[in-house]
Amino acid sequence: MKQNYDFKIEKIKNLSPEEIILRKKNLALFYQTGFPNKKDEDWKFSDLNSILGKNFNNISNNDFFPKERGFKKINEFEHNFISLLNGKLISTNFSYEEKNKISLDNFDYKNEPFLENKNSLYFLNNALATGGFLLEISKNYKLKKPLVIYNNFSNSLKETIVNYKNSIILNENSELNLINYINNSSKENFMVNILENIKIKKDSSLNNILINNSKCNCYFYKYLKSDLEKNSNFENYLLSSGLKFNKLDIEINLNEENSKSSVFSALNLMNSEHQEIKTRINHNTPHCHSYQKVKNVLNHESKGIYQGKIFVKNIAQKTDAYQLSKALILNDAAEFDAKPELEIYADDVKCSHGSTSGSIDLNSIHYLKSRGIPEKEAYQMLINGFLCEVLEKLSDGKIKNFLKEKLERQINGY
Amino acid sequence: MLNIKNLEATIDNKHILKGLNLDIKPGEVHAIMGPNGSGKSTLANVLSGKNGYEIKGDIKYNGESLSELSTEERAQKGIFLAFQYPLEIPGVNTNTFLRTSLNSIKKARGQKELDTLTFLKLVKEKASELGINEKFLSRQLNVGFSGGEKKKNEILQMKILQPKLSILDETDSGLDIDALRIVADGVNSYKNKENAFLIITHYQRLLDYIKPDFVHVLSNGKIMKTGDAELGIQLEKTGYSNIV
Ligand SMILES: Nc1ncnc2c1ncn2[C@@H]1O[C@H](COP(=O)(O)OP(=O)(O)O)[C@@H](O)[C@H]1O
Ligand SMILES: [Mg+2]
Repeated sequence: MKQNYDFKIEKIKNLSPEEIILRKKNLALFYQTGFPNKKDEDWKFSDLNSILGKNFNNISNNDFFPKERGFKKINEFEHNFISLLNGKLISTNFSYEEKNKISLDNFDYKNEPFLENKNSLYFLNNALATGGFLLEISKNYKLKKPLVIYNNFSNSLKETIVNYKNSIILNENSELNLINYINNSSKENFMVNILENIKIKKDSSLNNILINNSKCNCYFYKYLKSDLEKNSNFENYLLSSGLKFNKLDIEINLNEENSKSSVFSALNLMNSEHQEIKTRINHNTPHCHSYQKVKNVLNHESKGIYQGKIFVKNIAQKTDAYQLSKALILNDAAEFDAKPELEIYADDVKCSHGSTSGSIDLNSIHYLKSRGIPEKEAYQMLINGFLCEVLEKLSDGKIKNFLKEKLERQINGY
Repeated sequence: MLNIKNLEATIDNKHILKGLNLDIKPGEVHAIMGPNGSGKSTLANVLSGKNGYEIKGDIKYNGESLSELSTEERAQKGIFLAFQYPLEIPGVNTNTFLRTSLNSIKKARGQKELDTLTFLKLVKEKASELGINEKFLSRQLNVGFSGGEKKKNEILQMKILQPKLSILDETDSGLDIDALRIVADGVNSYKNKENAFLIITHYQRLLDYIKPDFVHVLSNGKIMKTGDAELGIQLEKTGYSNIV
């Protein structure tokens, strides 16, 4: 196998001898297999090793980054923010909130236990991660304004990988609208590998939005694990168009009764962009709901993948699980793969899945054109209508409008 | 305004129009009647510039050859087709569609585009003339509209876009008598010396409300007979078989 990477623990500052040993162990585990490739069932449709081989000469890690100037903030709605630069916490602002209700800190690599995952990117993250944060919302506190996490990446990341870990805890009866905002327009190729652990306690609600702000030469991977308690709610909106590569690996554990989760996604992929959404929804207990709707528009020679798994444990009666993927394929060279998987061990459940893909309806295009709308705009209108539909359930009007506008920009190619 | 000479149209190896001639002048109302499958919608589609037809013959619109123009250019130059089966466009708001449409046409003509407020005022006024509830305008275009609502929406588009040549393809089918009257009033109030209508219909019914200057009978891809409004009334009594 081609060794197009070169990772060194020595580049990371302030590590204890124990940490160094542990990180070296993880790095050795990574080196056993290298980046995931298509022989791995979970990476069947996304051969990361070959994608990186084609687009990177060499990938290395680096813990020294120059200080960067400010970044552009969202001004469409009032919000709190956490700003990260290459994964490191650089500034925060919670001026809309009661101070003692929110705790935010750097991720604690010495004491924080971390989730388990077997893929090699997980080992690589354990070996190289620095930065990231730990966010905790107090019991009975509902944030007054949304929280934007600016994931800024500097322009000097050429051929490097950024690894970090985040942990988010919503204590009982709390509420958070979270917007993960990927902010980089660099032409230089770089990679991001994030592990995130989310705990949503009883009666709490988390709205989790991921949006990419501009086209960028970024190869992105995020593994998100979440655990839901009784009556909690976890909604995800994934709008990451514009990344060169993206794989979102999402595990949702519905551990207590009446918890609800949803995954909505709207992606417009161009050129050779490659994005995979992989979910695993574990219905571990009765009376839980899960809903997934994934929409892709594929232009040029782009590739979209949806691997959605619903697992229903034998005791999880009255489970209500739904998943649907729809793709519009606009070019013969583009591809969409859907692999729904249902693994059901309970008998009194409502589970359904569906997947359709097709081309755009030319009669609809003709209808719009017959009203004087130029062809290109007619296509954009239909694509926009197709994708925007996944935002319908969002309750915050300002965020919804913001996302609609961003989506429109993504569709028009930024 | 419109001069069609020896028009032939074939699609998927089916020869549908087989030498059709038709001349329409500004201010005229022409009706085309004919049995099912005679090629009425094909004529409408060809005039709107729909792809897929193999075309022979010549169509001139205000002296310009239509074959040179794309569908959107035809619309921008004032050709409007009210579809027999208006399409449902999920995710596209009716108001947004109407505004994009009107402004695309204005832009192509080098006219000033309408701002949101002026547009909303216009659309409200036209909608109320047709008895269309404002709520429809914020719904997705034609999605879940009844047959009659879709047809009214076509006429609303006509009144907003103000075309020179309006082609109505069986706008009357599926309408109850009240809706029919509203649609007819909509057409009559828009009729003037400068614009023309080509009304495609299967029944005489609509022509009781919109008086045509000419009635043509289309059969087997050709116009078999042309007369005045009387011809329509006669057809209603005797059926097509005696004429074609
Ligand atoms: N795309 C097509 N391929 C094959 N046959 C077609 C196609 N479109 C229309 N036809 C046929 O051409 C004839 C005329 O159709 P149409 O113009 O829709 O008739 P009308 O509107 O007068 O009822 C019909 O027999 C119809 O089945
Ligand atoms: Mg017809």
